[in-house]
Amino acid sequence: MRIRKNTVVIGKVGLLVALLLVGLTVLGCYGTKTSPEGGSGGVVADGTLFLAPSIKQAGGGLGCTPAAVDSKLVALSAADGTRFWEVPLEGSSSGGGFGCTPATTPAAIYGSPAVAGELVYVGGYNGKIYAINASSGAVRWVYPREGSLEPIIGGVIVALDRVYFGCSDGKVYALDAATGDEQWKVTLGDKIWATPAVSGETLYIGCFDKKLYSFNAVNGTKQWEYLAEGAIVSTPLIYNDTVYIGSFDRNFYALDAASGRLKWQFPAEKWFWTKAVAYNGTIYAGCFDGKVYALGAENGQGLAALDLESPIYSWPVLIDGRVIVANSDGRVYAIDTASNQATMLADIEEAVYAPLSAEGGVIYVYSQEQNLYALNADSGANLWNLTIK
Amino acid sequence: MGIGDIWNLIAMQPVMNTLIVLTSYLFNNFGVAIIVLTLAVNGIIFPLTMKQVRASKAMQDLQPKIAELQKKYGKDKEKIAREQMRLFKESGVSPAGCLLPMLVQMPIWIALFQSIMRVLAVIPENLVGLSGFLYSWPIVYTTLPLENHFLWLNLATGDVFLALLVGGTMWVQQKMVMTPATDPSKQSQSTMMLWMMPIMFAWLTMTFPSGLAIFWVTSNIFRIGLQYFIGGWGGLVKSEKKKPVGRDRKYKERIAQVEELPSGGADIVVPSSTQEEGSSDEESGDKRPDSGGGYTRSLRATRRQPRKGRSHRRKRG
Repeated sequence: MRIRKNTVVIGKVGLLVALLLVGLTVLGCYGTKTSPEGGSGGVVADGTLFLAPSIKQAGGGLGCTPAAVDSKLVALSAADGTRFWEVPLEGSSSGGGFGCTPATTPAAIYGSPAVAGELVYVGGYNGKIYAINASSGAVRWVYPREGSLEPIIGGVIVALDRVYFGCSDGKVYALDAATGDEQWKVTLGDKIWATPAVSGETLYIGCFDKKLYSFNAVNGTKQWEYLAEGAIVSTPLIYNDTVYIGSFDRNFYALDAASGRLKWQFPAEKWFWTKAVAYNGTIYAGCFDGKVYALGAENGQGLAALDLESPIYSWPVLIDGRVIVANSDGRVYAIDTASNQATMLADIEEAVYAPLSAEGGVIYVYSQEQNLYALNADSGANLWNLTIK
Repeated sequence: MGIGDIWNLIAMQPVMNTLIVLTSYLFNNFGVAIIVLTLAVNGIIFPLTMKQVRASKAMQDLQPKIAELQKKYGKDKEKIAREQMRLFKESGVSPAGCLLPMLVQMPIWIALFQSIMRVLAVIPENLVGLSGFLYSWPIVYTTLPLENHFLWLNLATGDVFLALLVGGTMWVQQKMVMTPATDPSKQSQSTMMLWMMPIMFAWLTMTFPSGLAIFWVTSNIFRIGLQYFIGGWGGLVKSEKKKPVGRDRKYKERIAQVEELPSGGADIVVPSSTQEEGSSDEESGDKRPDSGGGYTRSLRATRRQPRKGRSHRRKRG
């Protein structure tokens, strides 16, 4: 009798405690994403579109433990979306599984893949870089060979037979593109979420420590650094011997590529996250304030501020003298570089964070809802779309 | 404007931006900023917390009488409810006194909780989302993203030592307010809660960002200090007769006055539970007359004495 009574008491108290904790975690985590979901764009090479989607699985754990996220590299026909092959990208184990922590760190890809020769390269939040055969999907090498690095948020670039990337551990890595062997690495002052850019034999990369760095891309020797007032996560644009970069301090900077000397800076209203594009002496920079700023490349003069009404995360693309840009609400615009006027091409009505890609008059847009759209670059007509699962 | 927008406007944004600005002024140390903000928020809602702690204590002190009522009226729930309400009214204890301050505090805690989660921004989605909550103050933009390291901790990941600290401080805090129940099943429930809550929170802490654990530890320590101020070490000290502290002493003295008074005063009612269990409570050292609802009437009675011509003041006059 007493045992039964105690069991009832334990049950009641346990239920109460569980309800309290679940309530606390749900309320606390409400509206807060706790697991990386990725936001990679595609890259087109020789008629094949390479995309690294992160697939959210149904359900989730207790409290605000997020649903599992599976990542993969997919090769599709750029013409009609036919799937050639796909390779799963495994997450790395990290414990957890309760509260706000997932049991494994998903491979969640943020940076677009890079294609060079016969290999496709991609880096993930799971702290691994993959080199995969572009034709067959066979994995050539993985870096590091054992274990994993801190999360890799930025994308990879391939130049000078090397793969370059920045990591959340604050290091810039250069790997042999063919073998994955480490060539050099340098440690910066804080996390790196930015994708590097290479011009000639110089590598440029932004860092959370508010600095833009310039390195010799062959041996990793630092050439100069420029201290902004805010963190830098956007990717530098190199155009006419000038490095253009936006910062969290809401300024857009133009620096001399050789010396790092400030040429001019332009103040906006919010963060710069995306990479700028340049055409015919004008820089087009998308901002979190929902505007695309058209600035004179030489003097930073504001030529136009095109209000696209919601923040711009996605990298724009240039097609036939037009800048194609998507805002976070899923509206795709074409900016006429002659008149600096924006026209809406399409509205996919789904959030777009991923960089855009384009080839042969077709724009590829990958939404956060895991849908891939192929849009006609002139009319914005939906040529085809498919859900990547 | 939806409820979410209103919530963000009045709760999330102020808390988030304050956290960021504090971090900037506190040597870019987010850990210290969490501690300072937690203490500041605790300071602002101090009167409410005080009221809640006192009301909870008073309710606890009334438990023997409630148990008596339940025993007396058996299954007549309506009658029990009516009598309970009468008891609360007579004792000057309002059940809402426990709940209302807690309800008022809840949104503040949740806002703080959510803000810490968002401001840590360990994944791009959170950092991107954070941008929508920022005021246009330049300091906010130059401070972000925040440094995740504090002492040995990575504020974005769980920590075993901090988890133990959360569990430990929670246990101490609960133990301090725990009073022995007359009903064995309630006693068993209290004991279960005393252990289960800290254990569950400690477990939870290990998988939440340490920033939240700092918030919990700071809050717990603040409450322990507050409870000590109100009622000493409470249930932590078992058998020794405690020396009353601060305000406690004043109430003890008043009660002593009440007990010395002649029994003819119709208004003087020392709760039966206090009389019945006086010896055991003294032994356990758990009865805290300052906040106990059971003494409220007694204290009111002492204040009323002058009107009856029995006070020293009247005599002196």
